[in-house]
Amino acid sequence: MRATCFAKVVRSTPVFPLLMALLVNDAAMAADADGLTLPEGFSATVVQEGQGAGRHLAVAANGDIYLASRDGLLAMRDKDGDGKADETMKFGDVQGTEVRLFKNWLYVSDNVGVYRYKLKKGELAPTSARQVVVDGFPMERQHADKTFALDPKGTVYVNVGAPSNSCQQKDREEGSLGQDPCPILEKYGGVWVFPGNKFNQKATDGRRFATGMRNAVAIEWNGPQKALYAVIHGRDSIDTLFPALYNAEDNATRQAEEFHKITDGGNYGWPYTFFDTKSGHRVLAPEYGGDGKKVPEAGKYPDPLVAFPAHWAPNDLLFYAGKNFPAKYKEGAFIAFHGSWNRAPEPQAGYKVVFQPMKNGKPSGPYEVFVDGFAGEMADNNPRNARYRPVGLAVGPDGSLYVSDSQKGRVWRIRYGAK
Amino acid sequence: MNRSLTAILSGALGLALASGVALGQSPTPATPAAPAADATATGQKLYARHCLSCHQSDGYGVPNMQPAIKGGAWVKGDPKALALFVMTGGFDSAGRKEGAASHNVMPAFRQLSDDELAGILSYIREKFGEGAPAVTPGLVAEARATLPAP
Repeated sequence: MRATCFAKVVRSTPVFPLLMALLVNDAAMAADADGLTLPEGFSATVVQEGQGAGRHLAVAANGDIYLASRDGLLAMRDKDGDGKADETMKFGDVQGTEVRLFKNWLYVSDNVGVYRYKLKKGELAPTSARQVVVDGFPMERQHADKTFALDPKGTVYVNVGAPSNSCQQKDREEGSLGQDPCPILEKYGGVWVFPGNKFNQKATDGRRFATGMRNAVAIEWNGPQKALYAVIHGRDSIDTLFPALYNAEDNATRQAEEFHKITDGGNYGWPYTFFDTKSGHRVLAPEYGGDGKKVPEAGKYPDPLVAFPAHWAPNDLLFYAGKNFPAKYKEGAFIAFHGSWNRAPEPQAGYKVVFQPMKNGKPSGPYEVFVDGFAGEMADNNPRNARYRPVGLAVGPDGSLYVSDSQKGRVWRIRYGAK
Repeated sequence: MNRSLTAILSGALGLALASGVALGQSPTPATPAAPAADATATGQKLYARHCLSCHQSDGYGVPNMQPAIKGGAWVKGDPKALALFVMTGGFDSAGRKEGAASHNVMPAFRQLSDDELAGILSYIREKFGEGAPAVTPGLVAEARATLPAP
């Protein structure tokens, strides 16, 4: 676990080596369903065995569960209260990542748009026609999932990931320098905002809310703080692209997955910089004159609230406001880390749900591993052999935490104090 | 430094292989197994350096992100076509957006020498291409000569 030792909470709290957090946490972890490990007092139930490549999920006030997947949308209902889905229904024609409930609407997205279905009282799967909230995002192959967050007015904040690793003149080609200024940022690499009371909008109708974000799959509105937060996928391949500056271990460990409060007009530094977990500060990217040490102009880009380990792939973020979990979880953030691929040949890492304690919208202590054991043995160090990969998070009406998986589409419910 | 050293070593190895003699020795025939094993080892190191993080150590790639090369038609097929594929980044895979099976693009590896590419290609053909025959630097050079000037 060498790589994870560099992770720390930035500014607001002292430095806590993750290794210590892991040891403390592991001691209190108990094995549960599917070989997952959870803190003492928590238990997991398999809600459904899995149908396809799951992505995010949402749970309605009546307990119905909606799972987005690369294979389409799935609705699930637990009729007898044992936590397991008794009825499942595929519906709609949207294959993508995001799904959210807002009033009596189910919002979903694919790579080019955000849509919604009206949910009529009593129906599990919506029978109404799909309505376009916004579409017309350019078709891309890289970082194309249009995850989004909704504020209490229904305002839609869309993550428009950059179809690039680091805005090189030739993407992912050794030694290729960065385009300066990076033209990708005009249409991608940030959050675009759309009013909640308009429909059939085009991508070009949106306003760029924040920029310098490579791919903020994990994006969430924090109700009490009235603010947007995101955990951003950091860049890949500093070693293979700039071998004179970085080696494989550097690549496996140094480029943080950055957790930020996203403010209107904010710029979070991609592609010009990355937050270096080794030195503990932001450095210039090698494509933009970085030598491993040079730093950008002071104050130009914010430091992350938390610098999570490189390549863990934060794919969902949730602020806990449920009633089931103990008080320490209140206001805190759960983050689903899908797990790395770009750490190879070093051991892969991530593949877990992490809890980040928060108070008043700021980290209040070191993060803890909350659910682990998803990946299993993972033969050949290849993510394809992971048993499960956590990808989505949601809270049910009773305060249970739901977690989805992308390998099999499995869904778990996690509760405190009940078996 | 490592890179230039690797280039020199692999270049020398490639030369030795191409001419059928062991480096720095009289033209007595070398034992056939030794140079091949060395070339494979060099190719394996180069694969680790340039290819492994995407295509992984088992050659299966990463689902949705980078394709598997193990058992793939390109790897075990015509070696010159394979050399061109690698030198051009999958014939400019960056230009293909719709219908692509993998999210990430393949960069071009034209910056690698004929010897380095021959080492990598020989390694992946042996390991992931059902033992397809090795690729010589000369064949890589022939393929390179058909490309337009960079």
